[in-house]
Amino acid sequence: MTGDPILRTVSRFAVPWTVWVSIVIFMQGHNMPGGGFVAGVMAGAAGAMYLLAFGTAKAARFPWWKVSVTGLLISVTTGTVPFLMGRPYMQHAIWHFDLPVIGLYELPTATFFDLGVYLIVLGTLMTVFVELAQEGR
Amino acid sequence: MPQLELLLPAIVFIPFAAAVLALWLGRFAGQRTGILMVLAAAASFLGCLQVVTAGASLGFTREWIPGINVALSFRADPYGCFFALLISGIGTLVGIYSVNYLPALTPARVSRYYAALLAFMGAMLGVALADDLILLFIFWEVTSLTSFLLIGFWYEQETARKGALTALLVTALGGLTMMIGFIIVGTTTGSYSLRALTEQAALRERLVGSPLFMAALLLIVLGAMTKSAQWPFHFWLPGAMVAPTPVSTYLHAATMVWAGVFLLGRFLPIFGTSPAWAGILVPIGLATLLLGAVEAFLDTDLKGILAKTTVATLGLVTMLYGLGAAGQDALQMFSHAMYKGALFLVVGIVEHATHTRDIRDLGGLRHKMPVTFFLCVLGALSLAGVWPTFGFLAKEALYAQLLAGTPLSGLVPSWLLLALTVLANALLFAVACRLVFGVFFGAPTEAARHSHEVGPGLWLSPMILAGLSLGLGVLAPATSAIVSHFSSGPGTRLTLTLAPDHLGPVLLSVGTFLLGFGIYRGRAVLGRMRSSAPGAPTMQALWDKGMDAVTTAAIGFSVRWQSGSLRWYLAGSLAFTVGLSALALQRAGISVFQVPISLQEMTWYGLTLCGMLGFTAVMVARSTTRVGAAIALTSNGFLTALLFVVYRSPDILLTQILIETVSTIFLLLILYYLPVFRPEGLPPMRRFVNVAVSVAVGATMFSFIMLSTSPQFRELKNLGVDYLTRSMAQAGGANAVNVIIVDFRAIDTNGEITVLVLVGLLVYGLLRARRKSA
Repeated sequence: MTGDPILRTVSRFAVPWTVWVSIVIFMQGHNMPGGGFVAGVMAGAAGAMYLLAFGTAKAARFPWWKVSVTGLLISVTTGTVPFLMGRPYMQHAIWHFDLPVIGLYELPTATFFDLGVYLIVLGTLMTVFVELAQEGR
Repeated sequence: MPQLELLLPAIVFIPFAAAVLALWLGRFAGQRTGILMVLAAAASFLGCLQVVTAGASLGFTREWIPGINVALSFRADPYGCFFALLISGIGTLVGIYSVNYLPALTPARVSRYYAALLAFMGAMLGVALADDLILLFIFWEVTSLTSFLLIGFWYEQETARKGALTALLVTALGGLTMMIGFIIVGTTTGSYSLRALTEQAALRERLVGSPLFMAALLLIVLGAMTKSAQWPFHFWLPGAMVAPTPVSTYLHAATMVWAGVFLLGRFLPIFGTSPAWAGILVPIGLATLLLGAVEAFLDTDLKGILAKTTVATLGLVTMLYGLGAAGQDALQMFSHAMYKGALFLVVGIVEHATHTRDIRDLGGLRHKMPVTFFLCVLGALSLAGVWPTFGFLAKEALYAQLLAGTPLSGLVPSWLLLALTVLANALLFAVACRLVFGVFFGAPTEAARHSHEVGPGLWLSPMILAGLSLGLGVLAPATSAIVSHFSSGPGTRLTLTLAPDHLGPVLLSVGTFLLGFGIYRGRAVLGRMRSSAPGAPTMQALWDKGMDAVTTAAIGFSVRWQSGSLRWYLAGSLAFTVGLSALALQRAGISVFQVPISLQEMTWYGLTLCGMLGFTAVMVARSTTRVGAAIALTSNGFLTALLFVVYRSPDILLTQILIETVSTIFLLLILYYLPVFRPEGLPPMRRFVNVAVSVAVGATMFSFIMLSTSPQFRELKNLGVDYLTRSMAQAGGANAVNVIIVDFRAIDTNGEITVLVLVGLLVYGLLRARRKSA
């Protein structure tokens, strides 16, 4: 599956841009529309665009399933740490940092859990895309 | 002393730790892994001895699941300690024997053998010492599982697999009923502690007064009956003789089969007041005793013979418990364990030397194998109850007890009980004669001619057991003190003596010997009578039939239910969901008709969108090509996204658009590999069901959305308001949707993402494997 020149030209700009937007959406997810799941799907969509434009050869070399497994590990660890500290599984806390330049920054530990969700969605989507796309060869 | 208290869990968990170690060590040590078993068993044995000398009040309790009153608690009463001593003591001997008995196998196989044996030993010790009923149940089930592994050790043989499976199913079935019984006891009395149940009359009264009392009694007795191979569940024990002989000795003579009887002893003080207790246990125990004795006499397989005599003795003790004669339990259990352990190990030696276990192929071994012969004679004398062995003491005590009368009486009149017990003992005497004369006397057979005596590694263990069978008989006063101390009957004072002071038991003994010898001499006649008797269906056959019926039913159900048709699955799950939702709405007493629908509120663009959505939905259903359907479906999805624009819901809009994009790509990728779509004519019935399910799904979804957005039903809306207010305050996030996903409902999400990862891995694995094979 290789795309036409127009798709390729557009993709060269659109794919990184979409990935960037997905990261923004992920970061703002706690307070504004977005979050790990949507951002993950968006990154997956960017990946799909890449596959359509440039073919699967390069993307297939990357072990996408490891991305989703890493995500699961991150999510479960986020839940396990409070458990090991004697609090309920998956109890989240909010960390406050007083950073230079930026000022007070609020980081809920739920963000790490969300990062896991992001990686899982992206990893699973890409695994399935790459594997299905390779079926025809 | 707190240190001593810690001994109780240590006794139980040392074998488990050793089991784990054996799995790992076995790879290097091979046959020598058995030494680990000997050491672990000996350590537990010494621990038990230490506990016994410390006194009876020792207990160990730690909180485990306080919410339902379950505790990790052990206790060291004399009876439990006695059972634990037997388990660990015989475990040591079986370990020694196994090292010399097991043939050359792969190290992995050997390590598995010892690991299973050690785990079994730990679980048995747990059964013996556990105070908490739930803990006891867990150990009980572990013994069932490990015994499954051990019986099926020669898993290349079909009989071994079958025997192991039958044993597991029968005992696990009983274990489950027993668990229900335990739960009834625990919930009606509020305590799972055996000690509390035995010692506190108030708890017992609460149980006896409960309407579920009879159910608890029956369920627990059923568990004990299956484990201890009582009629009609006796058949699994002979079937389990496919196990290696040390395993049979350990599990099926000395320990596991006694667990059921042991449990009856534990529950006698709790259930004994009910007439049902004696009414059930006495007839069943008696039937098992007779059946076991008769079948043992008629069998030709040496291990089968021994297994059936074990069944008989188990029946005897069950009967004694039914009669409330708990004072005898330690005595009967102890004497049986000694001689039966010795005899089983002797049979193992005979099989080792001659490669056969069939009594018809054996004979004249006494010159070739003098030590084994001697050991067998000692064991058989005790089995027959001949003066001055331990078995003699046990039999005399039994007769004396039956003559003197028992605290309870079952449905069987006492004279019949006595007569049948004498008959069963006479049969056991005849069995002992058969063992000694059939195997060691007469002309040497073909198998006997190639035999040879074995080394001390094999005869050491039976030597100790047989020696104790004789020694404990000779030292009758000491034995009396031991078995009285360890008995579960309160204040038991047994005076066993080799010079009986009452005439009754002696006369009965003489009668037993004469009758037994007569039966032995008439064995040819009896054998002919059996072969000419009409073959009644055995319990084994009935069980097999039952199992076959279960399998057939399961297959029939699966074939119909799991038809493999995606449409059927989809229709089924949708119909179920819809039905459930409709039920919930109906229960709440609300319906969509209570919501006023005004056309004015629907703007022209809202109506237009709805019309287009409806049109694309019909297009999906009417489409004659897959691509057409996919396009219609995608349009439907993007039109739905427009709906979220109208209602200003950017979150869901974003998600909807992305999901639609990605799923369209999926659809197109998959469509490429699907065969050409051919519109098929569905039968009218199927068509009707499909339409009905679709309409029902639509109607339900419609109802839910209408109801949840209607201002009339504030209570339904409160959930959303609640989340919105709590989101910022408790989770520090303004986006309630995401906060729900990652915080309030994080455990749900955790499950979902796990599924997602698994799906990804499955797709990866399946497609890769398919490509590789192509």
